Amino acid sequence: MTDERRRSPFSAFIGTEMEELREGYARLSLTLEPRHTNPNGVMHGGVITTMMDSALGAALGALRGEAARRDPHATVEMNASFLSGARPGDRIVVEGRVIRLGKTIAFGEAEATRNGDTLIAKGRLTFAVRNRGG
Amino acid sequence: MSESPAAPERPLSPFVELIGGRLEEWREGYVRMALTLEPHHTNPNGVMHGGVVTTLMDEALGGVIASVRGLETMFAAPHATVEMNASFLAGARPGDRIVVEARVLRLGRRVAFGEAEARRDGDGELLAKGRMTFVIMDLGAA
Repeated sequence: MTDERRRSPFSAFIGTEMEELREGYARLSLTLEPRHTNPNGVMHGGVITTMMDSALGAALGALRGEAARRDPHATVEMNASFLSGARPGDRIVVEGRVIRLGKTIAFGEAEATRNGDTLIAKGRLTFAVRNRGG
Repeated sequence: MSESPAAPERPLSPFVELIGGRLEEWREGYVRMALTLEPHHTNPNGVMHGGVVTTLMDEALGGVIASVRGLETMFAAPHATVEMNASFLAGARPGDRIVVEARVLRLGRRVAFGEAEARRDGDGELLAKGRMTFVIMDLGAA
């Protein structure tokens, strides 16, 4: 029911699919096409940062439930390490996990793999969370 | 004149073209990019998706490093982002025009460091700040 609600227009625009969404966890996938590349013909880093941000935002949304609809959370920090590249035809999967949800802040991490085995990027994200009383 | 882009020398990334980013200025040591936010650039809350601004910061800094290294050098030994730290300081909405500027902090033989800023055009509010590290690949070594 909430899947569509959690769908991010930008994430959908670039072609990602939500494969799994449950409390504190989300998995997104995308098959790389030439339109996802940089001038060197390999994956643009922005594809991965977009997928990481979307995965964590959705995982946190699923965990917060109704509170997320009342008081949306927002990414305040992202650190990403790009360990390996990817090319058109490669299938990218990004998993996001919430590490801790506090009253005003939430922490999460994300991993991106290529074709099911190779870890290509790792990310850490921090979200500002507002929980209004009542 | 109207058909030719303002900065024709360096191709934009296909991914940046896809999302609608434009290269406004590209000269040695300086790059400015812009994008006008549309509804498809948003997250489920209707505000700018973080991926939009990280994409533009990555592109702007990759471009400014290319401007310093030179295009021929760049295509012979491409540079690639290995680390990005981004702080999201304020949000933006459809209709806002986002301007991203990037500069190189240090260009070494194997590693390049740089930073980027994203501001909202008009009021100039700082929306995001990024720090990135690039590695310069050595394709031809053998």
